[in-house]
Amino acid sequence: MNGESALTRGATDRDVKERLVGVLLFACAALTIFVTASILFTLAYDTVTFFGFDETSVVGFLTELEWEPRNGFYGVWPLVSSTLIVTVVSALVAIPIGTAAAVYLSEYASPKMRSVIKPALEILAGIPTVVYGYLALVYLTPWLRSIGLPLGSFNLLSASIMVGILIVPMVSSLSEDAMSAVPDSLRQAGYGLGATKYEVSTRIVIPAAVSGVFSSYILALSRAIGETMIVVMAGGLQTNLFDPLDPFGSLAGSGRTMTAAMVNAVTSDATGGSPEYYSMFAIGLSLFAITFLMNLASNRIAARYREVYQ
Amino acid sequence: MASETPSSGTWFGSAEKVGRLRGRIFKWTCLGATVLTLALMLVFLLYVANDAFRPFSADPGWLATMGLTVVVPIALLAGYYYRRDRSAGQVAYTALGLPVLVALASGGLWLLFRHIVSPREWFVLVVSIVVAGGLVVGHSRVRHDAVTERLVVTVLVPLLVVVGIPTVLPGLGQFLYLLPVLPNALFSLILGFVLPVAAIVGWRVRAVRDADRDGAIAAGITVAGGLAGLGLGPLVGIHPTSWFVFAAPIVGALVVYVEHVVRNDKGLSGLAFPVVVVAGVFAGLAVTQLLGFAGPDAWLNMDFLTSAHDTDPSEAGIYPTLVGSVLILLVIVLSAFPVGIGAAIYLEEYATSQGRFGTVMELIQVNIANLAGVPSIVYGVLGLAIFINLIGMGRGTAVVAGFTVGLLILPIVIISTQEAIRAVPDSHRQASYAMGATKWQTVRNVVLPESLAGIFTGTILALGRAIGETAPLLMIGIPATVRIAPDSFLSRTGAMPRQIFSWSTQITTEFRYGVLAAGVVTLLVVLLTMNAAAIVLRNRSQQTQ
Amino acid sequence: MTPTDPSPDRNQRRVATDGGVSTTDDAESTSDPTEADGDSEKLVDVSSSFTVSDDDEDRPQAAETAIETRDLDVYYGDEQALQSVSMEIPEKQVTALIGPSGCGKSTFLRCLNRMNDLIDIANVDGEVRFEGKNIYDEDVDPVALRRKIGMVFQQPNPFPKSIYDNVAFGLEVQDEAVTDETVRRALERAALLEEVDGRLDESGLELSGGQQQRLCIARAIAPDPEVILMDEPASALDPVATSKIEDLIADLSEEYTVIIVTHNMQQAARISDKTAVFLTGGELVEYDDTKDIFENPDNQRVEDYITGKFG
Repeated sequence: MNGESALTRGATDRDVKERLVGVLLFACAALTIFVTASILFTLAYDTVTFFGFDETSVVGFLTELEWEPRNGFYGVWPLVSSTLIVTVVSALVAIPIGTAAAVYLSEYASPKMRSVIKPALEILAGIPTVVYGYLALVYLTPWLRSIGLPLGSFNLLSASIMVGILIVPMVSSLSEDAMSAVPDSLRQAGYGLGATKYEVSTRIVIPAAVSGVFSSYILALSRAIGETMIVVMAGGLQTNLFDPLDPFGSLAGSGRTMTAAMVNAVTSDATGGSPEYYSMFAIGLSLFAITFLMNLASNRIAARYREVYQ
Repeated sequence: MASETPSSGTWFGSAEKVGRLRGRIFKWTCLGATVLTLALMLVFLLYVANDAFRPFSADPGWLATMGLTVVVPIALLAGYYYRRDRSAGQVAYTALGLPVLVALASGGLWLLFRHIVSPREWFVLVVSIVVAGGLVVGHSRVRHDAVTERLVVTVLVPLLVVVGIPTVLPGLGQFLYLLPVLPNALFSLILGFVLPVAAIVGWRVRAVRDADRDGAIAAGITVAGGLAGLGLGPLVGIHPTSWFVFAAPIVGALVVYVEHVVRNDKGLSGLAFPVVVVAGVFAGLAVTQLLGFAGPDAWLNMDFLTSAHDTDPSEAGIYPTLVGSVLILLVIVLSAFPVGIGAAIYLEEYATSQGRFGTVMELIQVNIANLAGVPSIVYGVLGLAIFINLIGMGRGTAVVAGFTVGLLILPIVIISTQEAIRAVPDSHRQASYAMGATKWQTVRNVVLPESLAGIFTGTILALGRAIGETAPLLMIGIPATVRIAPDSFLSRTGAMPRQIFSWSTQITTEFRYGVLAAGVVTLLVVLLTMNAAAIVLRNRSQQTQ
Repeated sequence: MTPTDPSPDRNQRRVATDGGVSTTDDAESTSDPTEADGDSEKLVDVSSSFTVSDDDEDRPQAAETAIETRDLDVYYGDEQALQSVSMEIPEKQVTALIGPSGCGKSTFLRCLNRMNDLIDIANVDGEVRFEGKNIYDEDVDPVALRRKIGMVFQQPNPFPKSIYDNVAFGLEVQDEAVTDETVRRALERAALLEEVDGRLDESGLELSGGQQQRLCIARAIAPDPEVILMDEPASALDPVATSKIEDLIADLSEEYTVIIVTHNMQQAARISDKTAVFLTGGELVEYDDTKDIFENPDNQRVEDYITGKFG
């Protein structure tokens, strides 16, 4: 018998195969880091190119109040303000409805109701954004106009409402997970103290789940910020800066959001080489930074709520 | 004090009933908000369906006939299943849904055969794969100890046989083309498609029933169903080759499912449901034809599905973009899925959580979660910058679109696969290791089979997301309209959501309320079928657990 | 707060009984006909294994009934969890429910404040009389009932709120004034104030297991109930924390009726005044003064259980 027994590990064929498989799978996982790195690199690199033009400057980008590439204006604020409008209005739609759905599903729904409402919300989550944009443009706007609201055929209100409905399933499903994760022993303690179901739901379960619920809000809003098709199809492409003296006007008219501006940069007549073309990278970088920070915050908050029940 | 008279009664009686009104209002408000939103969307979707199909433009007689032959029987049966026989109901809906799903997949295949891979090329490809497979298996039988050698062989032989080395050694396919006798399209499909499908069906039935004879019968039925097209096809106006592509998978899937139902002996009566539906549809169509009732003047009709975009709305159709979407999906399935599943396997089974390497793994995990939240348009920019500008691939091709959207759904695939893998109980892994299995053996033989349903569900849902993504397509230059279907993965292609977007910019009523509605409904039908399949699959796998 | 005092001459002490208890004995004999002749046969002297609490002199001699059950049956689906349990539980004393696992002790406890209502498949038959009124009557609101009968659970379950808010919660939902006074008094009564004074706004989850359980007790007694139900309150705690809880229970029984489920027989012997023994299938086999149960059980099965022959 040679020194190497059948029990020792060595460079046997089997080990080579195992190691090869491991390396291959690791490469798959490592690819994801590569993706992030690529995103950061390309965005940063071409943002630098963007600021290299005569018409553009970092200061101007961040402070000017007009975005009109045709006339050489590259201030990002109108885009940001439109994005904010959409985000705020969609939050006003999605947060109440999503939370209500979550509370109902988690605390009140009978199995039969759950088996109807949950799949329905899932179906809602599966509808593509281009369909939402179409619904906003072709059905919601005319309907809103018919009940008297003085809206333009492209308006941010329709778009925002639809974005809100788009993210309702996100809010409801993540919040419901958070609420269901609250241990039943807490509810029992509440009932034992003579609390009604309403008191148990609102004073024990929701406060206990607050971190998870909050993190769901942030995630949903970050989705709303990055939403493109709905705002492009229904919100139009005319840039408008938010006018605090006429808030409804901003809603009733069209507004170009950050994402819409990026689409414009690529579908406009500009060939690859003009500052407008490169503007999409600068806006894209800002967008990436914002959503990245929001997702990070959301994960932190969610992790904190997970700790409580360790 | 066991007296019968109650004492001061400070905690009972109607006066002491604790107020529940607030709670009731709260509950109904929550329910109301949810239901209202769902109802609003349902109303919108009904409007879209109405605009696409225009049911009320049909003769009342048509509506009545079809209602009687199709809608009424379905409603009656559905009520019966709900009240009396739930398991029969499940069987019924699956028996109807499965062929629909398979038909959709076959539709995709049909488009492939029509535009990308001719039946002959397919046949040659299948032969090459079979030969390569045979060589690999033969080698492993003869020299079953040399693991490294087998690895090399497994990788190199298929590559050599199927692809060959460019300019030096042609693959087997090239040799086959030189043969004077190569089957024509018909026989190519029979040999290259119907027979393999039948073989798979037969093999599966044989494995499940543990009887060679049953497997042979199943395969035989599948072949018969396919070959029936030779006779029946021309009768109904369908070319036999098209019949093959649809019939073989549908019949095969039905055979497998019926066998499953018969073996479990539960809800057998449900199998009658699809028969009733199909019979009802045919009867209805025949009667309306006979009585001369006109059907609805729908925007979504066969013409729409088979023609290309046109400035005349009544001529406009979605066909080329359908092909494009299928191609893009195929690229995604072949690129993003293996990578995503591989990454998930690594993260769940191979990665440690200790030490420096553990922190790297942590980082990768966090990074994936963040990538899932990056806006889709940023992925479009990434695709533009890397695939088009840097590497120099063509703008608006299926490959670029597939890679770009594939990157977008990669995090989703990874996360859902991880969840499916995590659901496999650790005790099963431990049992496998205790028997001396290596990590890869455990993954391949224990973990993957058990998590397969969950992985399937996650990938189907991710695919559904991928079909509808539009923003990245805008960025990588998918054209607004295309007139002809693409003929390869590397040619410029359209895509359904892109077409829908460009139609939405048309302001004529016919486009906005007709063609556009038809396009949206087409997209939604594909999407909802996929989602429904995923949900059903997930419910079934949860039930068995 | 008198500590238990193991006395060597316990065999010479008799627990004072009165009409109420005799009625119970009568009820007992009807539910256990085989033992109608009482303790004519003394098989084994089990008194040496247990130390019965000795501070009965502090007890009011005439114990009124706080809760009485009559033929209480409970079914979980088709399975019967309690069989016709009838007993009278005296006021302001500690009554222990003992028996092997799964014999219906917790089920019985949960009937007393209608917590079984929260379980869909539970069916309750029979009567439970509190202050003379059957709590399962139509016009009784379980929520109102639970404001008079508090509960402490096996696993400490403080809310993820501050210590102060935990105690205040019961007061809030019962529309009672929340004052520092009340909160501190409850914490003091639960023997916790000293340890947490000054950090009342810290989270309740930061306390140790034993402290959390005392917090739960403080939370339960803050709204001043009449009865406190305890479901194995010390089973999840270490011996030191357990003995603190036991001292606390003895103290609490001066103001409240305490009914405690425990699987720890020594604990029951130490702290309770009366003990009820539940055996297989939810059958109340014997219910008597603690001393009698442990020193002189009437029923052979009870004796077997106590001496450890089974369960």
